[in-house]
Amino acid sequence: MQTSVAARSVELIPATPQRLWGKPAVANFALGGLGAGLYLAAVVEVWLGAPGAVNVASWLGPVLVLAGFVAVATEAGRPLRGPRVLVRLRTSWMSRELWVGGLFIALAGTEVVFPLAWLRYPAAAAAIGLCLAQGWILRHARGVAAWDVSLMPLVFLQSAIVSGAGLLVAVEVVAGRVLDGAFLIATLLAVVAGMLVWRGFLAWPGGPAFVRATAQLRGGRAGVLILAAGYLAPLLLGTLALTVPPAGAGALGLGAILMIAGQVYAKAELILTAGQLRPITLANLTLRRRAS
Amino acid sequence: MRWGMVIDVRRCVGCQTCTIACKQEHGLPPGQVWRFVADCEVGEYPDVRRLFLPMQCMHCAEPPCVPVCPTGASRQREDGIVWVEYGSCVGCGYCAVACPYHARHLIHEAPGYFEALTPPERATARPERTGVMTKCTFCQERVDAGRAQGLTPGIDLEATPTCAVSCIANVITFGDLDDPKSPVAKLRAETRAQPLLPECGTEPSVFYVVE
Repeated sequence: MQTSVAARSVELIPATPQRLWGKPAVANFALGGLGAGLYLAAVVEVWLGAPGAVNVASWLGPVLVLAGFVAVATEAGRPLRGPRVLVRLRTSWMSRELWVGGLFIALAGTEVVFPLAWLRYPAAAAAIGLCLAQGWILRHARGVAAWDVSLMPLVFLQSAIVSGAGLLVAVEVVAGRVLDGAFLIATLLAVVAGMLVWRGFLAWPGGPAFVRATAQLRGGRAGVLILAAGYLAPLLLGTLALTVPPAGAGALGLGAILMIAGQVYAKAELILTAGQLRPITLANLTLRRRAS
Repeated sequence: MRWGMVIDVRRCVGCQTCTIACKQEHGLPPGQVWRFVADCEVGEYPDVRRLFLPMQCMHCAEPPCVPVCPTGASRQREDGIVWVEYGSCVGCGYCAVACPYHARHLIHEAPGYFEALTPPERATARPERTGVMTKCTFCQERVDAGRAQGLTPGIDLEATPTCAVSCIANVITFGDLDDPKSPVAKLRAETRAQPLLPECGTEPSVFYVVE
């Protein structure tokens, strides 16, 4: 005997992992953020009055961004058609990413040959544009609930700043330079802001599909690692370097590595683990009550 | 004019004839299908239901796959059919992650079913589809050729998508959604046909009758 029960929204086909964007896509997002973030951090360092590592950032930043583009090109089915990606600037964030990334590479690269201070401003603007464009690429991936979030461009910008600042700190430590106190404080503030944006993303009211796709980032091992190693440990080590100068270089070096690794890992988890194709649902379906 | 489908899930027995007919019509390589019938068990005992859900491209009026395409290979015709211009596609996969309906498929390589391609496989090989994104086309070649002969898609079999023609249970009704006299528009009006994932705002052209 069967009777009907009230119609309700039901999931017909469960979420499945997306398989098209793998490690090369992660490399593009991670290296793009790292390169752009490094340059932004170097410009901030100069702006705060420290001699800085802007000369290194001017070539290393573009090289990292370019490496990301090369990596992602290997994932395309027809990589030799790559230049065609430039044509849809009006509608596609992937086209915009390539344009703004190319602009950043050109401007920052020019600075290596012609060290003109004013070039830093458009180059920094292009670096910010690259980070935001990468975030908007995911934001418009409507098939993946964990990516289709308005906050995504900000998530990518904060991630780039944190990882780029980490790389700059690492460059300074390796070069044996004493890091400027004001820059160190700015870096710690960026880590705090980054952590708030990341937590804001995880708390986003994105519906059941979003909540399930991001569960690992919120409460799983990955979530704990990203929060503890990517944000809290660098904050602790940076504070230690500020308050106990003899521990400075070691603490800063370790903190810098954790900042970079934390953000690369966060992006990898976002693409590979949280990248689940939306479950297929129907708004109204009457279920049958089966009497035994 | 807007081509669309109403799929009466109540009649579907999950035989996959439409899946195979589509695969044969379009000469798809092993492992590739542009449509399939999902066997869905939903609810929890004692409130349960089993249904067969034919899945394909929804040919959305607001297709999220089209604006994201960085090369302009993903296109939408005036009559609503969403298609891929293989010669422009780089196979980046952006359209596939933009589609909420799992409807796009990248053909990485097109091997045959055996070590060497069989004569029929050689005859139907489509090398232009390798390395690019592919999907259901609503059999646009059949629709266009049929209309050129004065036939009516959805009424005349030669001008109707293969899946609808091959269905053994008359599950799939194809036609012009904008023409109130067409069978598909009438069926949509008479039943409580609903789209999948309406919350995505894509305005699909494929509707399902489940009640």
